[in-house]
Amino acid sequence: MKEQIRHIAGLDRVIHEPGRLMVVALLFAVERADFLYLLNETGLNKGTLSSHLSRLEEEGYIQVEKTYRGKVPQTLLRLTDSGRKAFEQYRKKMKAAL
Amino acid sequence: MERIERLLEKPRAYNNVDGVGELSTGLMTLGFAFLQWMQVHTPGHSAWNSHYAMWIFLAVVGGAIHYGAKAIKERITYPRTGFVEYQKPAAGSQLMAAGMGAAVASAIALFVAVRSRMDLTTPLSFMGLVLAAFYAHGFARTVPWKWAVSGVLAVGSIAIAVLPLTLVGPLARGSSVSFPPKIVAVLWLNFMLFGTAVAISGGISFWLYLRRTRGLARDTQ
Repeated sequence: MKEQIRHIAGLDRVIHEPGRLMVVALLFAVERADFLYLLNETGLNKGTLSSHLSRLEEEGYIQVEKTYRGKVPQTLLRLTDSGRKAFEQYRKKMKAAL
Repeated sequence: MERIERLLEKPRAYNNVDGVGELSTGLMTLGFAFLQWMQVHTPGHSAWNSHYAMWIFLAVVGGAIHYGAKAIKERITYPRTGFVEYQKPAAGSQLMAAGMGAAVASAIALFVAVRSRMDLTTPLSFMGLVLAAFYAHGFARTVPWKWAVSGVLAVGSIAIAVLPLTLVGPLARGSSVSFPPKIVAVLWLNFMLFGTAVAISGGISFWLYLRRTRGLARDTQ
């Protein structure tokens, strides 16, 4: 029991937040994806998703690239190496805690 | 934890969210069935039976399907529901090694069977079940109604396998290839069944996708 609590206490709080966890899990399975894809898959609104992305970028977990697809602006997002490692650690700790 | 694992599966399912993956697979299989029909029903020295004709045909059909699918993704799917770039499988990854191992083992087994004049009619008759399993694993897992397509493929392939030679024989009549008529006919019927069912399923998925995403804003970036 103590061991489980220790694992829960050691969870990465940046990733543990449900909205950010969805974003990181979706990006973990791909090379990169755009804002629109994350918006559709997470069901979050634009403002909430933007603030989660800013928090993840601050932490160095994602890389944001602003570009254009034709004439339409596009925001591409990619999980950084440290983001990948952090998510793998998070999954390990969650598995151990449950 | 289960929810996280489901999220990790989502991007893979997104690859066929518009049904284009199925449409491509179905049309490619129908193209292959057409090629097989031409090879069987034209004289052995015709262009259809030359080595280069098969590669040219597959390159043309494969290229048209590849670029057609790419155009649909870029003009319809990405502006409506977003863009995803998938991870390229790392060279030497376990999956790639397993796939290559299975392909080499199958090729050796087929070579040995043909050399020792083994009767492959029964195992090849059930090849449709392999295609049905491939469809179930690749497409049906993520969309419940597609299990019905898997069922149709499985039942259809068993029905094809047990058809008597008197019924399927005429399909391979005048065949210029050296395989037994039953194998030729059963393979062709399986390709036709799989190609048609998967193309129809892909077409329905594409239509449903267009309806579901009609009018989605383009400027949500």
